[in-house]
Amino acid sequence: MRTLPTVSNRIERVSRRVLPALGLMLLAGCAKNAPQDFLHPEGDPAKTINTVNKIIFPLAGIVAVLVFIGVAVILWKFKDRGQPMPHQGHGKSTIEIGSIVVSASLLVVVAVPTFSTIFDLAETDDCNMVINVTGQQWWWEFAYPVQDGIDKPIVTSGDIVIPEGECVMLRITSRDVIHSFWVPKLNGKKDAVPNRVHTLRFQADQPGVYLGQCAEFCGLSHANMKMNAIALTRADFATWVANQTAEKPMASEGQAGFEGQGVYSSYCTACHQVDGLKDPSGNPVVAQADTTLVAGAAPNLTHLMSRITFAGGTYWLQTEKCRDDLFNASPEEFGALYLKGVDESCLNRIELEEWLRNAPAKKAMYPTLNEDGLGRGMPYLALSEDQIDSLVEYLLTLQ
Amino acid sequence: MAIIERPESGTPVPALAGGPAVVGPAQTLGAFRRPVTTTGWKSWLFTVDHKKLGIMYGVSAMFFFVVGGLEAVLIRLQLAQPNGKVLSADVYNQMFTMHATTMVFLFIMPMAAAFANYMVPLQIGARDVAFPRINAFGFWAYFFGAIFINTSWFLGGAADGGWFMYAPNSSTLFSPSHGIDFWVLGLQITGIASLSGSVNLIVTVLNMRAPGMSLLKVPIFTWLVLVTQFLLLFAMPVITVALFLLNFQRGFGATFFDTSAGADPLLWQHLFWIFGHPEVYIIILPSFGLVSEVLPVFSRKPLFGYPLVVFSGVAIGFVGWGVWAHHMFASGLGPVSVAVFSIATMMIAIPTGVKIINWCMTMWGGKLWYTTSMMFAIALVVEFTIGGVSGVTHAAASSDTQQTDTYYIVAHFHYVLFGGAVLGLFAGFYYWWPKVFGRMLDEKLGKWNFWLMIIGLNLTFGPMHILGLQGQPRRMYRYDPDRMGEGFFNLTFWNQVATLGSIILSVGVLFFIINVWVTAKRPADAPLDPWDARSLEWLTASPPKEHNFDTIPQVHALDEFFHRKYAENEHGELVKVATAEELLAAEEAAGSGHVDLPAPSYWPILLAFGLPVAAYGVIYNHIGIAVGGVIILLAMFGWSLEPSYAEPTDYDPPTDGGSTKELATLG
Repeated sequence: MRTLPTVSNRIERVSRRVLPALGLMLLAGCAKNAPQDFLHPEGDPAKTINTVNKIIFPLAGIVAVLVFIGVAVILWKFKDRGQPMPHQGHGKSTIEIGSIVVSASLLVVVAVPTFSTIFDLAETDDCNMVINVTGQQWWWEFAYPVQDGIDKPIVTSGDIVIPEGECVMLRITSRDVIHSFWVPKLNGKKDAVPNRVHTLRFQADQPGVYLGQCAEFCGLSHANMKMNAIALTRADFATWVANQTAEKPMASEGQAGFEGQGVYSSYCTACHQVDGLKDPSGNPVVAQADTTLVAGAAPNLTHLMSRITFAGGTYWLQTEKCRDDLFNASPEEFGALYLKGVDESCLNRIELEEWLRNAPAKKAMYPTLNEDGLGRGMPYLALSEDQIDSLVEYLLTLQ
Repeated sequence: MAIIERPESGTPVPALAGGPAVVGPAQTLGAFRRPVTTTGWKSWLFTVDHKKLGIMYGVSAMFFFVVGGLEAVLIRLQLAQPNGKVLSADVYNQMFTMHATTMVFLFIMPMAAAFANYMVPLQIGARDVAFPRINAFGFWAYFFGAIFINTSWFLGGAADGGWFMYAPNSSTLFSPSHGIDFWVLGLQITGIASLSGSVNLIVTVLNMRAPGMSLLKVPIFTWLVLVTQFLLLFAMPVITVALFLLNFQRGFGATFFDTSAGADPLLWQHLFWIFGHPEVYIIILPSFGLVSEVLPVFSRKPLFGYPLVVFSGVAIGFVGWGVWAHHMFASGLGPVSVAVFSIATMMIAIPTGVKIINWCMTMWGGKLWYTTSMMFAIALVVEFTIGGVSGVTHAAASSDTQQTDTYYIVAHFHYVLFGGAVLGLFAGFYYWWPKVFGRMLDEKLGKWNFWLMIIGLNLTFGPMHILGLQGQPRRMYRYDPDRMGEGFFNLTFWNQVATLGSIILSVGVLFFIINVWVTAKRPADAPLDPWDARSLEWLTASPPKEHNFDTIPQVHALDEFFHRKYAENEHGELVKVATAEELLAAEEAAGSGHVDLPAPSYWPILLAFGLPVAAYGVIYNHIGIAVGGVIILLAMFGWSLEPSYAEPTDYDPPTDGGSTKELATLG
């Protein structure tokens, strides 16, 4: 049998090596700058949630470590070393009642802040802006109804643009299955449920990009249903609104994108809306996605190049270099850079062309029409290379 | 009787001692002959013996454990890199749906049923369950249902809506293949198995305990199995209703979850989770019972606070019904409901936490013997604690809106289900193997099995805490390197660690299978009481005789078997007063030699076989429903006319005046 000092030396030796290693692993174990890390919140609601996190995660960790230490001590202390059969005691009521009281009181410590934050976060009366958020397979639509500062409705997708430091109330719903709206750094999730409208406080404390994605399994391409929250200063936000609501003339013969506009009119307008586009007799072209798609809607492309992603957030619209510049911009510079939009030099042309060449190969979808003649997602269009080139030229005009 | 059978004519059967030397078959009227053999493949197909059925549950469940495990490894291989190409999006979605379905419904629940079937009658000193033929029917319904679900892989693809199968994504509009139909109907069939099994075990435990065994002398495993059966009894009808609604929507144009007809999709979520949360306790409580048997035996002490463990088990059984909406904190319930369910969920942590304390205090002051079984039980205490405390973090509803549907949840419930339920089952394998097969599983291979599984488990599910807290959602066939963060320990790295862990875990399970193989090759020479055990199942031979006990034991105490072996001397020290062999010899000597046992039957397997036939009919051709229905009705008819005990004349040789133990064994 080992003598006590040797054993404790050993424990000491082991713990001297293992404990710092464990601590280091905990510190270094996490990824740096993970864009969806909710333990580093950057918006007021997410910070409110984090006040609960700061209590509950350490407490849970401490309880677990105490149990580990307790078990380790027991395993070492009461190992069978030939001691006589133990006393056949059936329990001790003080310990039994004590364990109930201790675990109950620990839970009270957690319950109180949980309770108050549930009600705080449900509050939306102090929000001074409304955005309607609609999920469908497999992209997000953001619609800004007419309100203070917005005198024409705006419909966009991929990027949800908000003014910094202000509470925005999101009204979340779905056109097909259940989705869940989640931008981890700004707030927790809220499900988008058809036939129901759920509200969510939404706020970012600084200008910047905040990545998010659909968090409720919503079918085939759930993994590809992403969005970005873009926070701008009030002034930049007004500029963004002005651009989104401005009338855009059609390209006329000789102008950039004129040929592509023709391709667009023949292949894309059944589903995708571009405001300001007119047919030869001068009537506005209105997309009729409800006759072609299960969800009844496809992304509005009027200002495609003011966004940073396409294909429901699956692909970046910008090259890696331009994207890095934008993502690493200081809060002061960010707005101007974002409002510049995507120009020819920054365009992620390769993936955009691949998408136009064969969309279902770039994103899992069900474009095949069902018995009602409706599909889910963008079909293969059999465009020629010339058509694709001119289409890209046209899309670049949609600033 | 009209529809009963006699053994094949022709070959005369050598008679047993005491009977006539050779007897020819006598004819009776009847369309079918009643099965009466207890050896050979037929005896397994038509058996009603709870022990044989227990083994059959165990083997089938183990098979589906391997199937579900391979599905898990494929999932992990797909996620070993950001844009994995191992599986397509569609197959990936089927894979995680079927992984969960297989592990929950086709592995853990039936494996718990295996232990319950085998051990509960032995632990309470009974000769079988209350309704042996229903027991057989339950097994076959589970077996056929499980095969039925899995045939969908070869018939156009498995279910792809996730095991929670949220509406409206489960409708034919969004999932046009037959996968979900197979899933719905298969779970209906296995649900019938669970329901019939629960009634059977409840009646068994309440009515068939040995004389003297009052409720607070019932072994703890049996107690927690009893609580589990009540949970099943009330939970299965809820999912049955939900599945019928979905079935009628998909197959017959009903609109329960059709949002275009005005349905509220949250109806399905409520129905599913009112079943789904008690289901969690259905999964975990039998394993809690298992370790509550194993820890005292290898600590050489009674379970600390036995009544408290019983009552906290019962408390979990009650409070478990009031927490379902914690699966729905992000689904748009109002803040009042969220707050109520948040508090209720925290409350259920109390009886669970109490159990951890009880297990630790059971070992405190003991004389700990680190067998493989004990190591698995201790590992359950440790790993389940991790799952338990992370569970408390979800109970804080506002925080849960960040955690839900991320890998943090995946980490949590795998620590609960693998670290809890599965480790408990493995503790049970090593503990009861000598009881069931008369052979000791190899301890050296067992240690390999144990350590590889523990290392694999923590490497697989540990990193998932980090993945989830740093924002990786679940159920995604690919992930975006741009969202994985920077540095060496980025989330791609942790995904790869999890994949590596899953392979180590699989090797660990492989060691168990090797162990079973190696053990089966060895002679059946396990000692009668290898662990110095405490409860009644050890008061009989290993493997037990078909009728379990020669004499129904008279029970005086909790841990009856232990108290028959040990007594306190005048100094208050515990001394051994009898060996297991002596006790068994005494029981055998006192036996009357006249035991009635229920006879095997064709009807349970036939009745169960009608179910998948009808289910294929629902999917492919409604004539099949009629065919299945006819089979079911025919089997019910035959069953109702067949006495549970074979007539003396059914046996070969025929007996005069009541069956005896030997004849029952033959028959």
